[in-house]
Amino acid sequence: MSGGTMLYGGDEIGALVFDPGHHSLRVGYAQEDSPKAEIPSVVGIGSSSGSNNSNNAPDTNLDPETKTDNNVTSNNADARKYYVDTNYVNVPRAQMEVQTYMKDGMIDNWELFEKVIDYAYANVIQSESEYHPVLFSEASWNVRNNREKLTELMFEKYNVPAFFLVKNAVLAAFSSGRATALVVDSGATHTSAVPVHEGYVLSQAVVKSPLGGDFLSRQCRQHLEKHNIDLSPVYKIASKDVVKERDNARFTLRKLPENLTSSWQNYMVQLMMQDFQMNVLQVLENPFDERVASQIPMVHYEFPNGYHQDFGSERFKIAESLFDNAMLGAGQLASTSVGMCDADVRLSLFGSVVVTGGNTLLQGFPERLNRDLQLRAPSNTRLKMISANGSVERRFGAWIGGSILASIGTFQQMWISSQEYEEAGKSQVERKCP
Amino acid sequence: MTSGIQVSMECNDIFEQIHKFKQHRYVILAIKEESEISIEIVGRRDAGYDDFLVDLRKGGPEQCRYAVYDYAYHHQCQGTSSTSLKERIFMMLWCPMQAKIKDKMLYSTSFAALKQQLIGVHKYIQATELDEASRECVEKQLRVLDRN
Repeated sequence: MSGGTMLYGGDEIGALVFDPGHHSLRVGYAQEDSPKAEIPSVVGIGSSSGSNNSNNAPDTNLDPETKTDNNVTSNNADARKYYVDTNYVNVPRAQMEVQTYMKDGMIDNWELFEKVIDYAYANVIQSESEYHPVLFSEASWNVRNNREKLTELMFEKYNVPAFFLVKNAVLAAFSSGRATALVVDSGATHTSAVPVHEGYVLSQAVVKSPLGGDFLSRQCRQHLEKHNIDLSPVYKIASKDVVKERDNARFTLRKLPENLTSSWQNYMVQLMMQDFQMNVLQVLENPFDERVASQIPMVHYEFPNGYHQDFGSERFKIAESLFDNAMLGAGQLASTSVGMCDADVRLSLFGSVVVTGGNTLLQGFPERLNRDLQLRAPSNTRLKMISANGSVERRFGAWIGGSILASIGTFQQMWISSQEYEEAGKSQVERKCP
Repeated sequence: MTSGIQVSMECNDIFEQIHKFKQHRYVILAIKEESEISIEIVGRRDAGYDDFLVDLRKGGPEQCRYAVYDYAYHHQCQGTSSTSLKERIFMMLWCPMQAKIKDKMLYSTSFAALKQQLIGVHKYIQATELDEASRECVEKQLRVLDRN
């Protein structure tokens, strides 16, 4: 190998891997098995008028409950306060709005996104950004404008020595040992089917639908509210008594600051629903049938306020919406995507369907997808589903793939180096990162 | 996208010996020291498919490998009474389920480099479980290329 290609010599200084999603941003060092931190993709924004101790004295108060702000970039012109990461976002605060920086799988609000990256460098990585090459994952349908903007941001603001951008579907396929695969990714805001052929995304055949984890959360909430079940998240509850099943909950409310915003309250209910859906919901292997569903043992769930009951057939009925063909369910999504590819790759795509994303951890998801896809595939097609068994691998599949890719010695020559960036500018990303 | 791993010259030579001169039945390739694809095992011309499957997994049940195999079978064209012998070369990416993610990643990202180097392969096969590497499954995929 010619000299100069190993400039960033992987061993001494670790590369960093960022995997932004709608639920969270995964951050960590390359070569590790799992991300160092999972930072929620929402930022709390407080108004400046809410606090009166806004002097710039060094803040030594580390308690997230009372600390006024954890905006690491102090900028006097911007009087708003930013709260990043679970410990700060999940604290009730007057007039704190919650806002996400993601939209449609892509980074949308760059100002907020930078706050989160600043936070990640200061509190998770705890090192200077100019020492670490950075590998980012992106949605398969990311647009050129966005990719260039991210490249520019990393080189100009964070002075990274090298940068690389990979499609998350490609990472998921490679980490399952496949260069050609149909990647079915069900995440927080959408489910997508992305055909990857020999390491490249066939972008004209990407199909996605807005049926994801958040959609299920809304369905759960609607269902529970219809049955008059009180949805008080943990933050509201000071103490609770043990009650009998289906008895009204007896709990006392915590004293809360006034003027809690509805965006924050909704966010907290959503977190609670995420726990509910992961514990209670399940997908039937065949289309929903009341008789079959009612035969399956019920699942017990206790809400934060102490109310508890068994859930029976409704837990299948809610999850069924993910496979509803009237709304582009997962099976139809996958077969549509394959159908849009060239005839000669269809067989190999059906032959390796990689299932990834946090929402696929829903019990029975891969089995049902397998069944739906089998029905839609041409007869005598070999269908093969590949899904990692561990929940860590499924949730962080793309991150783990990136972590390994960034640590491969020979891969170092693929990065965009700061020198190349200075010579040719941000358009390098289109040339070097397909 | 590729990992930047190189294919050693000996791979080209051995491929030529299989492709042109029919000297060997198959060859098993492995990535050495995370930098180069090189030859691990060469299969004799009279070796059978079962020998191949044994050699493929000789490194251990959790090891990834590449393989090139010159597969022969008889094919009967529609409307004819005799069969003709077909020889098709396939290349396999073997990434068993139990393999470390690191190895899966290394082998699958470097597959493209190997494809680029070795010209004349009829079919590329990816396998993560033994049934995908089995004779029936492989032959079925090769026969797709034939006209009925």
